[in-house]
Amino acid sequence: MPDNDAIAELMARCALRDQRAFAELYRLTSAKLYGVAIRILRREDWAEEVLQESFVNIWNHIAEYSATRSAPMTWMTAIVRNRALDWLRRPNLERGDEDYDLLVESLPDQGPGPDVVLGHGRDAAALAECLRQLSGDQRQTIMLAYAHGLSHGELAQHLKQPLGTVKTWIRRGLERLKGCMDGRS
Amino acid sequence: MKYRNEQLRDALASEYALGTLQGRARRRFERSLKDDPQLRALVTRWQDRLAPLDAAGQPIQPPARVWRTTQERIQTGRHRGGLWSSLPFWRTVGLAGIAGALTLALLLATLPPTRHGPETMVVVMSDAEANPAMTVSWPMQQRGQPRMRIRVMGHPEMASGTAWELWLLLGGEQKPVSLGLIGTEAMQELTVPRSVVPMMDRAYGLAMSIEPSGGSPTGQPTGPVLYKGQCVLM
Repeated sequence: MPDNDAIAELMARCALRDQRAFAELYRLTSAKLYGVAIRILRREDWAEEVLQESFVNIWNHIAEYSATRSAPMTWMTAIVRNRALDWLRRPNLERGDEDYDLLVESLPDQGPGPDVVLGHGRDAAALAECLRQLSGDQRQTIMLAYAHGLSHGELAQHLKQPLGTVKTWIRRGLERLKGCMDGRS
Repeated sequence: MKYRNEQLRDALASEYALGTLQGRARRRFERSLKDDPQLRALVTRWQDRLAPLDAAGQPIQPPARVWRTTQERIQTGRHRGGLWSSLPFWRTVGLAGIAGALTLALLLATLPPTRHGPETMVVVMSDAEANPAMTVSWPMQQRGQPRMRIRVMGHPEMASGTAWELWLLLGGEQKPVSLGLIGTEAMQELTVPRSVVPMMDRAYGLAMSIEPSGGSPTGQPTGPVLYKGQCVLM
């Protein structure tokens, strides 16, 4: 994970229209953000377009970052995720879904307490610990939805579960996650 | 549409951040986000909670052409707009530009180093032609009432019978909040009023308006806005 302090400093310079700082910001973060876009869109041409749109958006709105109070990578990732999800909801767009079943099979099993590797730091440790406290179904559905931008319908189809069940897993899982994480901070 | 129920608001924010709020519900939620800063704050909390999941994914190097196109687009200033481009604040507050960058560099030279100390909020306020005219800075995360350091550039004159009033802008549809009256002296300090301290976390920008002497009679800006600028966290 790129160093948040270095990124925050570059972003402050970008807010003052420093294009060299922007080039450096791109160099440090683009691989991370391209990975996020690829996992959601699963097509390189779409991910390239979304990444480019996102960086233009980041440049144009970087001064708003200070008002959000979140970590710089979180802010930039949210822009990429939103762009990618917007892209997916364009009409008449079909993602090939032949590898979803592989994707589902490759997930950690649903037994209690799989090791979730989430990077370093206190926030990551808190999230990992709290994910462990969810049921396997809740954890799997949430992680799958987040990483790959799957809708309720897609999740239901690929987990071979009724739509209502999947919605309940997600809703209850998120509630428990919040309770657990707020309790630790 | 307003989502009033707190639990529903948080549930929607969580599924928005997760990505499962899609289609029409997502579009409706995004419209609400634009003028509901509290709802935006709920989304930000959820993005923070889930962010470590991104660290689990592999970075993938994008092709070089992505950077070339991005760079061309920011240099020509061509952009197609998007989710964030319609936030009301951005219709009225522009960036100070190159001149602002120079001013801010000068201002930063006068600030104590911030790498390990508390963060500082800096606002470069510009006139209608985007020329920087005033800078304001204050320490974040401090107990009590922060003292704002104010630098006024040039030697502006204040018409007799008028006053300059400084306003805190909170973004969205929220009304400006008065920070008090200031003078034309090059270096001044202003203590943030006790009642405004809890809002400083949400500061989006500052504006300075010309008011009758003694300040605005209504508690809202009544005269023309002379200078304005947005907050940058340093």
